[in-house]
Parts: sequence; C-alpha cells; structure tokens
Amino acid sequence: MDNLTLLSPSVLDDYVITVERPRLKNEGLGDNEKLFRYGASLGSVIRVYPSLDRAMDHAREHIRLREESRRSVANGTLILASTLTLSKGRFSRSWHAPPGGLWGCLIFADTLLPQFRNFLPLIPGIACCEALRQVGASDASIRWVNDVLVQGKKLAGFLVEGVCSPVHREQYHLLGFGVNLNNDCFPPELKGSAISLAQVLGAEVDLASFALSFFAKLRYYTGLLFHEEEQWLARGGLREYTDEHPVLKRWKELSDTPGQRVIFGYDVMESPQYEAVVSGISNDCGLVLLHADGTESVEHSGEVRYCP
Amino acid sequence: MSDEIDFDEILGKYHSDPYEYVDIYASHTGVIRFLVEEGSSVDAVSGEWKHVPGTALFEITRENNPKKVTALTNGVVSSIRSELEGCFVEAGAKLLTIRHPLKKKEIIESILKEVLYIFPAPERAKYFFSLDVQSRIEKKGAREVSVKPGDEIIIMSLMKRDTPVYYSGEKGVIHSVYFKPGVSVDQGAPLIGICPTEKLPLIKKIITRVKADWDQKE
Repeated sequence: MDNLTLLSPSVLDDYVITVERPRLKNEGLGDNEKLFRYGASLGSVIRVYPSLDRAMDHAREHIRLREESRRSVANGTLILASTLTLSKGRFSRSWHAPPGGLWGCLIFADTLLPQFRNFLPLIPGIACCEALRQVGASDASIRWVNDVLVQGKKLAGFLVEGVCSPVHREQYHLLGFGVNLNNDCFPPELKGSAISLAQVLGAEVDLASFALSFFAKLRYYTGLLFHEEEQWLARGGLREYTDEHPVLKRWKELSDTPGQRVIFGYDVMESPQYEAVVSGISNDCGLVLLHADGTESVEHSGEVRYCP
Repeated sequence: MSDEIDFDEILGKYHSDPYEYVDIYASHTGVIRFLVEEGSSVDAVSGEWKHVPGTALFEITRENNPKKVTALTNGVVSSIRSELEGCFVEAGAKLLTIRHPLKKKEIIESILKEVLYIFPAPERAKYFFSLDVQSRIEKKGAREVSVKPGDEIIIMSLMKRDTPVYYSGEKGVIHSVYFKPGVSVDQGAPLIGICPTEKLPLIKKIITRVKADWDQKE
C-alpha cells in the first residue's frame, strides 16, 4: 500500500493554506482565498482503497448506495485507489493502472450553467500540468482537450462522464483521472505512447505530496470556474458567455496544441477523419482548424493526435 | 398523432409550395450589416467535413468584434429586414428568411417530422447511441428497438465530457435517426423520431404514398 492513506480533507485544507495559497501569492496572483473558498467542496470527503475495478463504477455505486440509504452524496468526494484492475480510457481503450500511479474519480454535482460546463474538462489538465511542472517536468503540456504530455508521450489522462442518480435524479459529473507517477512498466500497446513521471525525473516521487498539489490546484480552478460564473451573472448574465474565460486563458498558456498540424477524429485512433492545422481555440473552447483549402472549421467534440 | 391522414391535403400543400422557409436570427446582440439582399441565391455549407462555409448572410458586430454569419442551407433570400441595416439588434431578432427548395426525401422527412415524436438535441454536441441501445440496433435494426421515458438512449459528447441523455416522450420504436456518430448536431435539431408500434403501418403508408405521388409528378 502506498502513502495515499495519509490523505484526508483536513490534510488537503492544511496544504491549501500553508503551501498552495502562499505559492500563488508569490506568483503575483494576489489574494486567492476567495477562489479556494469557491472550490472548497473538492476533497471534502476522500476515500482511499487498495484496489478497485473502476473508480467511475465505484462512484456510481457510491451515489446509488448513499441515496438508497437516504443520505446525501458529498459534493467533491474523491475516490482513490492504489490500483485499478479494469480501468479503461475513452472508447474502451486500455488504461493500465498498476500500483505507483494516481488513479481515481471525483464526484462533482452538476450545478454549473450550460455556458460554463465546457470549461470543466479543461481543469484537470491544467491542474495536473501545473503540478507536473512544479516537480520538475518542465516541458509538460496539454493536448486538446485535457491529455497531459511530457516528451511527446501521455503522462496523464482524464474523462468526464455525466451520471443521473437513480433515486433523486440528481445530475453529477464524474471526473476520472489517471496520472502515471512511479509506475514505469506499460503493456506493449502503450509502450512508445505513455510515460511516467519517475521516468521523466529519473527518480520516484512522493505520491501523497503530488496528489495534494494536484487536488489543491483542482480546488483553485473549480473555484475560479464558479467565481467567474457568479461574476458573469452579476454583470447581467447575457444569453451567451463570449469572454475569454480565465480558465481557458490559463489552458492556452499550458497547451502546445495551437499551431500544431494534427489528425482530427471523433475517435481518432479508430477513425481518423482529416488533417489540419490548429489555428486557434475559440472562446467556447472549440478547436479552430485551418484546412488545406484555406477554410476553417471549429470542432467541440473529438480528439487530435499531433502529426510527426 | 391521428390515425387518419389527409394525404391529399398534405401532398397538395407540398405540391403548391415545395419549399421550406428557414428563418435566420441574430445569435447575439450587435450591429447588423447585411451581405445579401432579397432575391439573392445562397449556397449551403459544404465540403467533406462541412468545413466550407455557405454564403455570408450578414455581419454582426459587438464590441468591435465583427462576426460573419453564413448560410447552412441553400435557397433564395425570400425576405430580409433591411430596415435593420446598421442597427443594433437583440439576440434572437429575426433578420431574414431563406426559401429552401425541398427534394422528395426532404418532403418525406418533413411529413414524418409532423407525425413522429421528435426527440431534439439538448445542446450543440456530437451524439451516439448508448451501448445497450447500439447493441440492440445492431442485432435487430432501429425499428425493432423500443424506447420509453426515462431510458438512457443516447450519449452526448462535448469537450471530452460524455453525458447520458434520457428519453422523454411517447413510448415507441426508433423510426428515424437524424444524427451520425462524430458529426455535430445543433441544439434543438432532431436526434431521433419515435413512432408508437401500432402507428408503423401508417408511417409506411405515408412514405409509399409520397414516393408514388412525387414520382408521378416528376
């Protein structure tokens, strides 16, 4: 068993106060107490297991059991496991989750307005990329939408799935995360495309410390999301949100996707659709693609792979 | 949906006016500058990936940020609110109408949309059937797959966020599928058309009758 059992809501609170807030202040981001407060539900419950089949399935089961026993589901519940035995990525792709990595799921009540939901999937990529850079993986970058790459290989991946609770029909987002930290053996199909932080740094990292840094940043950026939504409503809440969201602004600073020649597809591995150059990111997070004939299109769903 | 359909009335309507009138609205507030006039022919969006924009209809400018809005459908501009040229408009203001000539297939679809229960897309996103529905469609065909309110039938995919969509509407079989996996669907556009099982013969009758009538006319 790794040291993830050291994690608890109070440890995360302490980390935010003693480490993350001063760090952000030193970086000139001013008083960020309010933003952390807006995101404070994240990690309000932390459940750590030695092994699970799939964290997302466990989260669904957790929601069902809580509702059936007439108890509420704590918003921001984190479910962590040292290993996942049946983990998978999107489209049933394999995701290897042996001991040594950070695997889990966040249960997040769907209280965001539709105009702001697009920004939610950006947040885990930003938080993870920042945490990785902070421990020395200086070339960590985000590939649209939220894959985190180092040395051109995938180090972390995230999934967001909606779920409607069976009893009260509450809507939740389940944010699944997988970060290759000290695990350095990959199955043959992932060799060449996956990498771990230990491989990048040449040394193992402390799992609990990395997890605290990642979760603290998740708190900050979810707080920023809620805060910006509130500010927008206070300004009158027009039909569309067309500003450049601060979450998107930060994503752009950390992403290497703009400017890349890419292969685009809804399921790009199985059904690549076309090649184009990413000419920008629209304010609603769409990928602006410049085609060979000079025309542009905007994609909001799908994925890319960079052309060699 | 009535059991009795007045075919002559429906077909007569399409014979006398075989067009769809597509109203175009301001997507947000801004100052309007029209780029077409009444009677102008307009081209639809095209290209293998629907990446070649249609004819530019108007430019809407908000906070020095001009945005050209292009046609999604082909046809002729049948009316235009030219009095709004240079004016500030609210989001949702009607700006012009495109008269789109209907093909036989579109007429059948158009009539079916009046008689089927249409389940619309909740957001602009890409859609695919849930695993259970997809496997039932592959085994038996869509028209053998019945759905009822509360069923998880479709997954909405937007920004790598997959959300189940639950069916709400009449119980019935999936008669028409209006989306393709991997192709974006606009908010409010139809995803599937549902037909109560007992009404299927009526739907078949409509299709046969329209095809026969239109072929005769052509």
